[in-house]
Amino acid sequence: MNVIEADGLGKRYGRKWALRDCTLSVSAGCVTGLVGPNGAGKTTLISLAVGLIRPTAGTVRVAGEPAGSRAARELVAFVAQDAPLYQHLSVRDMLHVGRNLNVRWDHDRAVSRLNDLDIPLKARVGTLSGGQRAQLALTVALARRPELLVLDEPLAALDPLARADFMQSVRDAVAGDGISAVFSTHVVAELGQVAEHLIVLGRGEVLLSGPADYLTATAGGAPLEQVILSRLRESVPGRTREVAA
Amino acid sequence: MTAAAIPARRERPAARAVPWTRLAWVTWRQHRAALAGAAAFLGAIAVYLAITGHEIHQAYDALVAAGCPQADAIQPGSLLPVASAACQSLTQGFLSFYGTTSGSLGTSGINAQTVPFMLLAVPVLLGAFAGAPVLARELELGTFRFAWTQSAGRLRLAAARLIPLAVLLTAAAYGLSALFSWYFTPFLRFGNTGGYPMQVFGNLGTDFAAWTLFSFTLAAFLGVLLRRAVAATAVSLAVTTVLDTVTMMALRQQYATPATITGAGPTGVSDWVLGNWFTNPGGAQVSAGTVDHLFAQSQGGHVGLFPPAVAAWAAQNHYTDWWSYQPAARWWQLQLTEGAWLLVASLLLITATILLIRRRPA
Repeated sequence: MNVIEADGLGKRYGRKWALRDCTLSVSAGCVTGLVGPNGAGKTTLISLAVGLIRPTAGTVRVAGEPAGSRAARELVAFVAQDAPLYQHLSVRDMLHVGRNLNVRWDHDRAVSRLNDLDIPLKARVGTLSGGQRAQLALTVALARRPELLVLDEPLAALDPLARADFMQSVRDAVAGDGISAVFSTHVVAELGQVAEHLIVLGRGEVLLSGPADYLTATAGGAPLEQVILSRLRESVPGRTREVAA
Repeated sequence: MTAAAIPARRERPAARAVPWTRLAWVTWRQHRAALAGAAAFLGAIAVYLAITGHEIHQAYDALVAAGCPQADAIQPGSLLPVASAACQSLTQGFLSFYGTTSGSLGTSGINAQTVPFMLLAVPVLLGAFAGAPVLARELELGTFRFAWTQSAGRLRLAAARLIPLAVLLTAAAYGLSALFSWYFTPFLRFGNTGGYPMQVFGNLGTDFAAWTLFSFTLAAFLGVLLRRAVAATAVSLAVTTVLDTVTMMALRQQYATPATITGAGPTGVSDWVLGNWFTNPGGAQVSAGTVDHLFAQSQGGHVGLFPPAVAAWAAQNHYTDWWSYQPAARWWQLQLTEGAWLLVASLLLITATILLIRRRPA
């Protein structure tokens, strides 16, 4: 079963296609990395999948439901870039907001998770560190007991230690709850340790898609990082050499 | 294995809607500071109206208890009727709330004229400051990416904010307007034969609440359109002020075809005079200014334009004096007409706001 299925999906802003003719599927039960340089269409694809925007062309289904439908919203939890939450609220009230905006909500689990992370319920969201805020956003998302967790650039604003902790939390959730996760990133390094499945986007098109093991195997056992970079280089006409690793 | 043991996630029951009461809690939690601010603002005005209104009522009641002549006989601008020294003192005491020293009506007074005029700013300010941030803050802070993607969905979320806040503010404005009505009653009883003077049209009836509702919904709409709370507040203040002024100066008088009479003009103090002109003996229309000019000519040039003398001359020379006006009895017709179009405009603005939320790539 696929947790995301896009068919001929495209999004145009004015005359520019942010994402074009994107057909892909993301299999359930694993962590999928959506990789590509800035402007590759990662956020566009994710925004389409969580129903924030509507496609110009094609269709996208998430957890078997049309993206953006009520059924899809119930099954998909999203953590946007920079983990936007209500800064002026206390952590406790932020949880209550989550509870009151969702049909399914596991409050006890959210509270115990925050306890484990040493995030005080009384603290204002605005006073938390970047890592704590990302963890709070993840907690709110997981408390919804989603089938699919979507994360847009979750690592961009975090220091290396917080990154490791955060991705560990995502992996634990995927393994523990039997859910699926998709996250976007422009950081290619360390990707192999995090993502089991990869989708490489470049200039609004899918360049590469498949299980990480398979991608490295078909490239003759080359490191994942190198496979991705060489595919990205090929996609940029006249810029075969300069792209930095 | 019972059905309850199967994890809900795998069952895929039909998607349920998040109850409105839960959404209402979120609205309350997020806007309680703004609501407290609005309550403090309206509360301060209410306290002023209550204290001053009490004094006005006391002064008026003392006048009535002493059996002093009511001002039915007083026309705006005229002097007080002759009365006993005690009554003169009581009347002066009451009229001091007009803020005048001469004791004549029609001059500007703080409680009778300045306060009602200043209160007209309340719906504009309240609506703009409360309405603009309601959805614009989500858009400018980026939290809409959180809010719009929860199970409740953006449309229900927007409706659960706009509608209760609009109802609350409109009700609060109506309450303040009712308090003002009590505060202002002695002035109406003293100076008028009945009905309501048009100068306080915007403060009484349904008008004050209707403008609050309109101002709020316009600001909320502009907030989504401009995606900036401060800009939406500023634009909303400007647009509502202009629209309110245009309505007051030019639109309100056209809600009903004005009545016309000939002769000395409408008799009720609360009748709203819109125009005055003459027809000459041939039946052609001439302006009041032309008649003044002809009167002055007939008197050999430079004489004062004492109105009764002009009227007498005009009648003598077969000029007919015409007046157009809105009779005081049409008060509620005019009130409800304005209330109705403001309500329709507000509902359209709420609909447009929700459509914009739905269509806009967030």
